[in-house]
Order: sequence, then structure tokens, then C-alpha cells
Amino acid sequence: MASSVEGSTQNRVLYRLTWLALVLSLGHHLDHLIRGNAVGWPVTDEVNAFTYSLVVYPIIATGLVLYHTGRVGPGFWALVSGGGAVFVAAVHFGPAAVEPPELIVDHYDRPILGWLVFGWLVAFVTVLAVTCLYETRLWAQQRRAGRAARPAAGAGNTR
Amino acid sequence: MTATSPPPGAGQPAVRPRPGSAVTTGGVGGAVVVVGARVGLWLGVQLGLAGLLILTGVADTAGQALDEAAGWWMVYGALVDLGTLGVIIWLLGRDGRSYRGLLGPPTTAWQLALGAAGVLAATVPAVVFSGELTSAIYGQDAIAPMFAVVDLPPWASVLSVLVVPLVAELAEPVAYLGVVLPRLERRLGRSWLAAAIVVALWAAEHALYPLLTSPGGGLDWGFAAYRVGSVLPFLAAWTAAYYALGRRLLPIMVARWVLNAGTAAALALGLIA
Repeated sequence: MASSVEGSTQNRVLYRLTWLALVLSLGHHLDHLIRGNAVGWPVTDEVNAFTYSLVVYPIIATGLVLYHTGRVGPGFWALVSGGGAVFVAAVHFGPAAVEPPELIVDHYDRPILGWLVFGWLVAFVTVLAVTCLYETRLWAQQRRAGRAARPAAGAGNTR
Repeated sequence: MTATSPPPGAGQPAVRPRPGSAVTTGGVGGAVVVVGARVGLWLGVQLGLAGLLILTGVADTAGQALDEAAGWWMVYGALVDLGTLGVIIWLLGRDGRSYRGLLGPPTTAWQLALGAAGVLAATVPAVVFSGELTSAIYGQDAIAPMFAVVDLPPWASVLSVLVVPLVAELAEPVAYLGVVLPRLERRLGRSWLAAAIVVALWAAEHALYPLLTSPGGGLDWGFAAYRVGSVLPFLAAWTAAYYALGRRLLPIMVARWVLNAGTAAALALGLIA
């Protein structure tokens, strides 16, 4: 009973974190569109990091359906969040960043707006990384519970 | 969610207290005492040291004395953390609890290693933000003033690398995440609000050290504001990671130790100049 309550709380938190990351991602893509200095297909003809990053939306939509039907677990989300964090951090923060922070901060007429969207990006990557930590913990917890359940099921099997 | 329980003994109730109850977390008064002690200690130690410098003739004015004292903040920070540890231990003794209980559920070696690596990864955006803020305020490739003012003899540098970061990890995150946060959560009934207050208080504390003077005289309030702004994303990331790791403090302490000891070592070796 207690573990079922804990499980539903964990599910709720996982869904909320997924929706939060989705909103932050949409906001970041909106910032790209407003700035117009780092966009690609379908806005322009060029296929670049912006274009590749759009794949996250079908992944999230598919993931939500599969998670709801129990076909994927927290491990799937840990890979999506972790992969997303690495991708966005590499594009914006890495030593070979194609779109470094200056391209965001200095591109708005009002500096406060530049800092706001840069702060949004920082929050976005932090949420992805922390969400990955949470999902990895749930994943490990689930695997431990699965391993513990198997011998118990085996003990009851007299054949 | 804290993994503490009262010690078994005569007169203890047979029913185990609900996690997060007053018995397991203590009242909000303890949180006020811890934060108040840290604020008082930071101010007291710096003003005391500045007064000593004036009395001994090393500095002529209060501003000069504060700036001289600021060069040692990475060492005298240990006094603040030792004082904090004293307050935490006093609170634990009063409430009949253990220090280990403040660190959260048991953490295996692989949980500690993976968790600390994850916390370090989650800290990367904060490092980038802080660097950008420093460049925007103090110029491209400028060193943050709190590091630029550090001026220590070799023995003190060794202390700032080997001892001070260790003492800081035993006191600072334990004070805010292990003592203040659960008490506020219980009082407010909303974890997100308690976490936001803790992050705000924790960030505000950073405005107090080191106390620097502005070129026009008086305290450098711009630097104090910069300190709060630059440290805010770090504290938000660590507080979020604390929840994500099931309220395990050890991975956060290890990650913070790597960052703080690494920074102190880089300063001592002249890698940040």
C-alpha cells in the first residue's frame, strides 16, 4: 500500500518534470525564433542543430504514450533527459559551442531580455540534468524492486 | 522523508513518528538559530579581524582593514563553519537526534559516486551563468572579485585547500538542506515554497562574505548583489538535486567539495590569476 502511494507520487513528479522540461524547451525554441540568428529548417533551408533539436517533441509525445501504457519506464526518460541536457549544453556551453551565450545575451536590444532568455536556458539545462538524476534514481529503484521480487516469486513456485 | 528516528529507550512512544513530523525535524526556531548564527558569525569574524588589524596598526581605516581581512576569507570561513557545526550539534543534542540522520537515507558507494557526478553535471549551467555574469559586470576574462582579493601565504593556502572545504561541507549544506529545509517544509506545508526560501536565504548569506569596499568608500553593494546573483543558480541546482536524489546529502557534499577544493587549489597554484 505504502509503495503504491510512493509509486503514484513518483509518477506524478515524473510527469510534472516532463511537462516542465517541455515548456522550457518550447520557450527556448521561441527564443531562437525571436532572435532569428540561430534557426534552421523549417524556418530556413539550412538543416542544423535547431532542426535536429525539434526531434525532441515527437520523442516526448511517443514517450508519454508509451509510459502511460507501461511499455517504457523511468530509464527511457533518464536517457531522453540526459541526452537532451548533453545536447543543449554542448550546443550552448561547450568549448565548441555553435551558439555560445554571447549570441543570446547580446542579441536583444534590451540587455535585461537577453539575460532573461539566457537565464531561461540555464534553468532549462539544469532542469534536464536534475530530472535525469531523479529518473535514474527511479530506474535503479525499479530494477532493485524487480530483482527482489523475482526470488520471492521463485520461492513460491514448487515446480 | 528524513531517515531519522528517535533513539529507542524508556518513555519513548511505541509508534514511530511520521517522517517530517516535529519529532523528526524540530521546530522552525532551530532554522532561525542556524541561519542567524551563520549571519552573525560572518559579520562577527570579519569585523573582529578588521578591528584587530586597526588595533595592531596594520590598517589605518575601517575600509582598508576590511579589504585586508577579505584576502583571508577562504581561511576564516572555517571559523564560521565550525561555529555552524557547533550550533547544529547543540540542536541535535537538544532534539535527541544524530548528525548522520541529517544526511538522509543510507547511500551506497555507487549511489555516492554516480550522484556526485550527476550533481557536478547539473552544476555546469550554473558555472556558465556565473562566468557570463562576471564577464558582463567586471569585463571579459575578469576574475571574480572574491577570488581576485585572495592573498594567502603558502601555509594558509594549504589550509584553504585541504581543511576549509572539508569543514564547509560538514556544515553549510547540512545547515541549509539538512536542518533549515525540513523545518520550513513542516511549518509551511509546501516543499517548493520552503525550497525557494532556503535558496533565497542561502544566496543572501553570500552577500556577507567577503565584505569589500567600493572605490568611493563604504561597502561595495554592487559586489554583494553580484555575489547573490552569481551563486543563485548553484544553490537552486543543488537544492533541486537534493530532492532528485531522494534527500541524500552526501552526493551533494562530495560534488561541492570537488568544486570548492578545486577552486581553492587553482587559486593556490596560481592557475587563476
